[in-house]
Amino acid sequence: MAKRQLSRHIPDFRFVTFLAESGDSAVHRMNPWTKVALLLVVVALVTTLVNIYSLLLLYAISLVFYGLGRLPYQVLIGWYTMPLVFVLSLAILFLFTEPGDMVVSVNAFGQDVGITEEGLALALTLLLRALAVVTCSLTIFMTTKYEHVAHVASRIMPKTLANIFLLTYRFVFETTDEASDIVDAMRSRGGGLIRSATREGRAFAGIFGLAFVHAFDRAETIAKAMEARGFSGEFPVYGPVARPSLAGYCLVGIGLLFIAISVYSRYISDNPFSWW
Amino acid sequence: MAHIHLEDGAFSPEWILVWAAVLTAILVPLFYVLKKRAFSPRRIAVAAMCAAVVVAVFMVEVPTPLGPVHLSFTPLVGMLVGPGLGALVMLVVNLFSAAIGHGGWSMIPANTLVGMLEVTIGYYAFSLLRRKLGIDRFWAGFSSSALALTAGALAVVLIIGISGIQGSDLSREEVFRNTLVLAILNVGIGIIEGVVTGFVVSFVGKVRPDMLGEKAPELPSPASAEPGRA
Repeated sequence: MAKRQLSRHIPDFRFVTFLAESGDSAVHRMNPWTKVALLLVVVALVTTLVNIYSLLLLYAISLVFYGLGRLPYQVLIGWYTMPLVFVLSLAILFLFTEPGDMVVSVNAFGQDVGITEEGLALALTLLLRALAVVTCSLTIFMTTKYEHVAHVASRIMPKTLANIFLLTYRFVFETTDEASDIVDAMRSRGGGLIRSATREGRAFAGIFGLAFVHAFDRAETIAKAMEARGFSGEFPVYGPVARPSLAGYCLVGIGLLFIAISVYSRYISDNPFSWW
Repeated sequence: MAHIHLEDGAFSPEWILVWAAVLTAILVPLFYVLKKRAFSPRRIAVAAMCAAVVVAVFMVEVPTPLGPVHLSFTPLVGMLVGPGLGALVMLVVNLFSAAIGHGGWSMIPANTLVGMLEVTIGYYAFSLLRRKLGIDRFWAGFSSSALALTAGALAVVLIIGISGIQGSDLSREEVFRNTLVLAILNVGIGIIEGVVTGFVVSFVGKVRPDMLGEKAPELPSPASAEPGRA
C-alpha cells in the first residue's frame, strides 16, 4: 500500500484497515469477540489498578500483544504522539502542584516551585494507563477485518447507531482520500506556509468546506440508493463470526480474574489474598 | 485540537459510571424523539457523512504561528445537522477517536457530553445570529463556533474539576484551578477554529446555502436569457 498520510502522528484509517485486511498472525486469527472482550478487560484494569508496577506490566503485555500481531513498532511510536500530548497537557500542571517531596525546585519570587515525587508518579501512572489502552486498541483495530468489525458493531449497538457507525467506517476512506488530494494540490502550489491568518484560514476553509459539501452530495446519493434497494432500517452484515474458542474463553476468564483481584485490592484490602 | 480528549484511567471507576449514566439519561429520550420523527435514510446518511468528514478533516494539520493544530468542527456539525443528529455524530466520532487513541474508551461518555454541548451551542447560537438576526455568514459562523468551543473547554474543566484526577491528592478546587490554565489555551485554539469555521460557513453558504437551512438564490431561467448572447 502506498503510504500517503495527512499526519505522521494520527493513525490513518486506510493504513489501519490495510494491515487488518492483509496481515496474518495469531492475533489476526483470534476471534473478534475475544478481542473485544480483551479490550474491555484492559480498559477495566487500567481504571481499577493503582499500583504503578502493575500498570507497567499491563503496558508490557499490551506491547507483546502488538508484537504478536506482527505490526510495525515504528508506526506505533509516531501514533503515540496524540495520547502523549493529551496526557501531558493534563499532567504537566500536576507535576508542580501535587503535594509531596520535591525532586527539583527553583526559588521564584520567594517561593519554592518544583516537581514533586508524587507529581511525577501521577504523570507516569496516567501515561502508562493511556498507552496500555492505546496499544491494545490499535492492535485490535489493526488486526480485525472490516466485516468482523461490522458484525460486532451491528450486534452490540442500537440499530440506528450501528447504521451510522458502519456508513461512517465505509466512507471515511473516501473522505480521507479526497482531503489528501486537495491538501496535496494546495501544497504543490506552494500552499501550507503561514503567510497571513486570513489567507491561511480561507485556504483551509476551502478544503474543509468542500469536504462537507461533497459529504452532503454523497449522503443524498446514498440515501436514494438505500431507498431504491428498499432499506428496512438495517444493513445486511455478511461474514458471520463464530463463537470464541475454548482458549479465547480461558483468556478472557483470566482477565476477569485479574479485574476481580484489582477491584478487591482497591476497595476492600491492599492484600488481595487476605481473605484466604 | 480545540478541546482536550480525556484518556483512559484519568477518572476513577465511580466517575466513569456517573458520566455514563448522565449520557444514557440524555441519549435514551433523544433516541425516542428522533425515532418518532423517523430516521429516514437521508438523515442516517447525512449523519454518517458528517462523522466521516469530522474524522477525516481532523487528520489535516493546520499550520498556525503557535504550531500545527487539528480542528474538530463540532460546532459546525451542529450548524449543519442540528443538535439531535449532531449528538449521534459526536458519539460515533468519539467511538472512532477511541479506537485510535484520541480519547479513551471509558471516557467516551464524558467526551461525548462535551461534544454534544458544543454541537448544541453551535446550532442555537448560529440560528439566533444568522437566521433570526441576519448577521453575515462569516461572523455568525465565527461567533457561534468560538462561543461553543469556549463552552466546551469550560465543560472539560468542570468535568475534570468535579471528577478529580485518579491518584491525585489535590482538592477539587486545586484541580479546577490547574485545568483552568488548559481551558485558556484551548479557548485560544478555539478562536483559530472559529475563524476557519467562519470561512467554511461563508464557503458553504455560497456553494450550497440549503445545507445551512437557507434558500438558494434563484437562477435566471434559460428562456428569459437574452437571445444571441451565448
